[in-house]
Amino acid sequence: MKNKFFSFIGKPVERVDATAKVRGEAFYGDDLIFPGMVYARAVRNPRPRIEIKKISDKKAREITGYLGVVTYKDIKGVNAWPVVMKDYPFLPEKEARFHSETVALAVAETLSAAKKAASLIEISYKELPFIDDPLKALEKNSLKIYGKDNIFSSYTIKKGNAIKALKECDFVVEGEFKTNYQVHCYLETQTATAVPEKDGSLTVYSSTQCPFYVLDAVSAATGLPNNRIKVIQTVTGGGFGGKEDVPALVASHAAICAMKFERPVRLAYDRKEDFMSMSKRHPSWAKVSYGADKNGKLKACVVDYVLDGGAYSTLSPIVLWRGAVHAAGPYKIENVFIEAKAVATNKVPCGAYRGFGQPQICFAQESLIDDLADKIGMDPIEFRLKNILKTKDETATGQKLDSSCGIKELIEIVRDRSKWIKNTPTSIGDKKRALGFSCTYYGVGLGAGGRYLDRAGAFVNIYKDGSVKVDVGNTEMGQGALTVLSQIAAETLNASMENIRISEVDTSKVPDSGPTVASRTTLMSGNAIIEACAPLRERIFLTAADMLKTSGQKMFAYGGYFYFKDRKVSFSEVIRECWGRRLKMSEQGWYVAPKTSFQKENGQGDAYVIYSYSADVADVEVDVKTGEVQVKKIYAAYDVGRLINPKLAQAQGHGGILQGMGWALYENLVIKNGIMLNPNFTDYVLPISTDAPEYDISFKEKLYKYGPYKAKGMGEVPLIGVAPAIRNAIKKACKAKINSAPMTPEIVLEKIGEEI
Amino acid sequence: MPEYIEKYYTLKDLWKSVKKLPSDRKYLAGGTDLVISLSCGNDKSSVWLDISDIDRLKEIKEDGKNIFIGAAVKISELESNPLIKKWASALSECVKYYASPSIRNTATLGGNYANASPCADGVLALAALRAKVMLNLYDKRRVVDILSIVKGPKKIDLKKDELIEGFIVSKEERKSIFMKMMHRKRFGIAKAGLCMCYKLEKGKLRDVSISLSSVAPSVVRAKKTEEYLEGKNPSKAQTKACQLIREEISPLTDIRSTSDYRMRIVSVFLSRALCSI
Repeated sequence: MKNKFFSFIGKPVERVDATAKVRGEAFYGDDLIFPGMVYARAVRNPRPRIEIKKISDKKAREITGYLGVVTYKDIKGVNAWPVVMKDYPFLPEKEARFHSETVALAVAETLSAAKKAASLIEISYKELPFIDDPLKALEKNSLKIYGKDNIFSSYTIKKGNAIKALKECDFVVEGEFKTNYQVHCYLETQTATAVPEKDGSLTVYSSTQCPFYVLDAVSAATGLPNNRIKVIQTVTGGGFGGKEDVPALVASHAAICAMKFERPVRLAYDRKEDFMSMSKRHPSWAKVSYGADKNGKLKACVVDYVLDGGAYSTLSPIVLWRGAVHAAGPYKIENVFIEAKAVATNKVPCGAYRGFGQPQICFAQESLIDDLADKIGMDPIEFRLKNILKTKDETATGQKLDSSCGIKELIEIVRDRSKWIKNTPTSIGDKKRALGFSCTYYGVGLGAGGRYLDRAGAFVNIYKDGSVKVDVGNTEMGQGALTVLSQIAAETLNASMENIRISEVDTSKVPDSGPTVASRTTLMSGNAIIEACAPLRERIFLTAADMLKTSGQKMFAYGGYFYFKDRKVSFSEVIRECWGRRLKMSEQGWYVAPKTSFQKENGQGDAYVIYSYSADVADVEVDVKTGEVQVKKIYAAYDVGRLINPKLAQAQGHGGILQGMGWALYENLVIKNGIMLNPNFTDYVLPISTDAPEYDISFKEKLYKYGPYKAKGMGEVPLIGVAPAIRNAIKKACKAKINSAPMTPEIVLEKIGEEI
Repeated sequence: MPEYIEKYYTLKDLWKSVKKLPSDRKYLAGGTDLVISLSCGNDKSSVWLDISDIDRLKEIKEDGKNIFIGAAVKISELESNPLIKKWASALSECVKYYASPSIRNTATLGGNYANASPCADGVLALAALRAKVMLNLYDKRRVVDILSIVKGPKKIDLKKDELIEGFIVSKEERKSIFMKMMHRKRFGIAKAGLCMCYKLEKGKLRDVSISLSSVAPSVVRAKKTEEYLEGKNPSKAQTKACQLIREEISPLTDIRSTSDYRMRIVSVFLSRALCSI
């Protein structure tokens, strides 16, 4: 009973938003209706790359209800979407750079009229040569579509002398790895509504992870100052990173249309246009080498990592940075040399997806570490335990891990639970079965790469009746943030859960709290809530003590009540008394992440303030005649600090594992000659419940002293190591080494063929 | 979007009024393909004729020689109907691999056939069952072999207004095996499929028919392999039959799989089917 003095922290509290969502009572973006609302529909680039000559809506004008076309000429502000860099215009002027890029928008009284009109708006264009392969884009004589070298951004991380050390190693492995796109497939597609208000201001309703990104973009596009724009996050039906940056683009388009026609404008994507034009996980290419001495001690790691960024840079620079920082894996290695590049191609721009540039390089790195153990003749887990990072060790960037590092224990947990010692492949008929391993670490929060954004605010307002409204700047997108943050508020104030209400973000109520990404919400908004609650707590507890006449003796506070001897008062009674005493019952909280010392020049220093960890064992069965891979069971262990809600943490584990499996085995987006061939759920295959493995999930709560109730971050770790664990299990089961994802039956069978 | 949907309850009413409707008309049964075709912008018809509640089309019945399965019978009904389980078990077996439960409750066997997809699970079973299709045009009927009017993906040789009334399967005591390879365990489209109906007499195969999906422009029969297997011991004939069946097909590489993989799967399926007998 380690948490016996907590009322809500560490308890499997039911999701506060569950009932409304299950009953269909939650209002999503496309459920909202505004008087006089009209509809916008994108007119999209029909080819991979074009020079725009003319846009004509002559034929569209015959459609009943058609209001007009919107092009870049209607942009009142600046035609450059502010993300990391500003190379993506809200609407292209002379050149459209990827197939299905929004070139213009048709606006009409009804959705069907808008669709029809959009299909009749003609773009006259000249087709331009395009490039769709990032490795070709890096060649010297390639067509240049971005700068002098097609490189959006690049990083180098250098420690010791890895090239030299590699030559001196007794065992060296080298491998080339490729991974494909992953589509977020959130249930709710991109949706925004822009509503012009009577006073000339604008209210924007957006399905988004990052309402403040939407605010910045709408402000830039419309020329309205921040204080005349209010962004309200609608109940958001899934994000996974896909609603980090791009909702700002969609909302800006709606806003530009709304400003032009002075009507509320709805822009909701259908599944096909969402697939074709919205963010994805980057396809990747990596060449990795590891070297070890004769005793199995890792000595050197060399990585060349390339991300296919697509036509505009969007989040590529920071996705790349996270990947590069973690590229050597969670090991103690003296010599590291990592080079990473994000490259421009004429395809859909890629951005954030759960794991943010780490899963791709982790697939390469954890596969190769396994191969190195094979080469040395060591058990893959024993080899990792020998080299794993422990407290006081240094990461690839020279960061000394000072606390809360539980990866060694995680490895031991999954080793023991999976009975790894018996990892000898078994076989029944054509089916071969074995275990595979991987382990990972994940820097929680934005780290040095996004240090200027790493702060969060909270506003806590306690009403006279004891009900509490908490406003935060981070969002609920299905991951359970509202519940976890409510638990933190209730615990800190000693209110009951029913007293607390947190709802979707409204940018007019809280300061810019950065994006809801990087598994940072519990940590950042949680700490901001605690900071806001601290002075309130003091007032409430003093008042309660007065009411209970404790005369300085210790009272007991639990679950929304205050106890002393045989007396008790409820939170609501105490609040009424506080108001009676005219105490200040609202407070602001502001939390800023600690400083990081990372230097871009050499890639050395503290990259993140704290890391979460994971270890996975995949129990996999391969049909050697058909190449089908079935994941029977995943043993996973996570160190995410204190679990605020163990039930939700389990659920994050399940979702992350299945999503990782989807990327590893099933999901295969095909782009040929710059055009996407399967933008639908018929041919882009996601795993479903019948494909789900049995889950065996454990936690090791290594407390993080600066976390809210000593928590770290959970959202992304469960996905990252799944693919290499499966890959290593396939290798163990049937000797086929597969260095690309997805590992479809076709590829598995081909590789098995090579081995026989 | 069609301007309106005209609903019918009897064939008589249908034939009485059909010619008066706008000429760009189309039949609607389950709608699980038609509505998708509409949202992809491929259906431009101005009126849909809803035939899903015409009684005759919902019948499953038998006479001395045959069973009749109406074209508007829902896929989910095939799973447990006793007549189908007894005389057309391949059709019952295909259901668990067929799309999702919600689609099965809406989609019809006639629609599966009319869509003329090379990966149609229902057609794969009907072909191995050597079913015939009953067509009806203005109350005049013709009965043809199931695959004889299927010309390729989405291409079926029907006259204007000609209606698929149902399917006829002769009552034969044959066993069946249904196999389907897809990208995940359920709710998937076939990368390749095989259905085999046969009798076993004193260890010898008799009356064999084998159909294949997703390896040609339409569902096809493997007639040379069928002929070869006639009178053979299933496990002894395995190697040669698997070789033969590969010679009968030349599948394409497309977004769902590769030519080579499809070849291999068809032969693995046949080998596994023959081993299981």
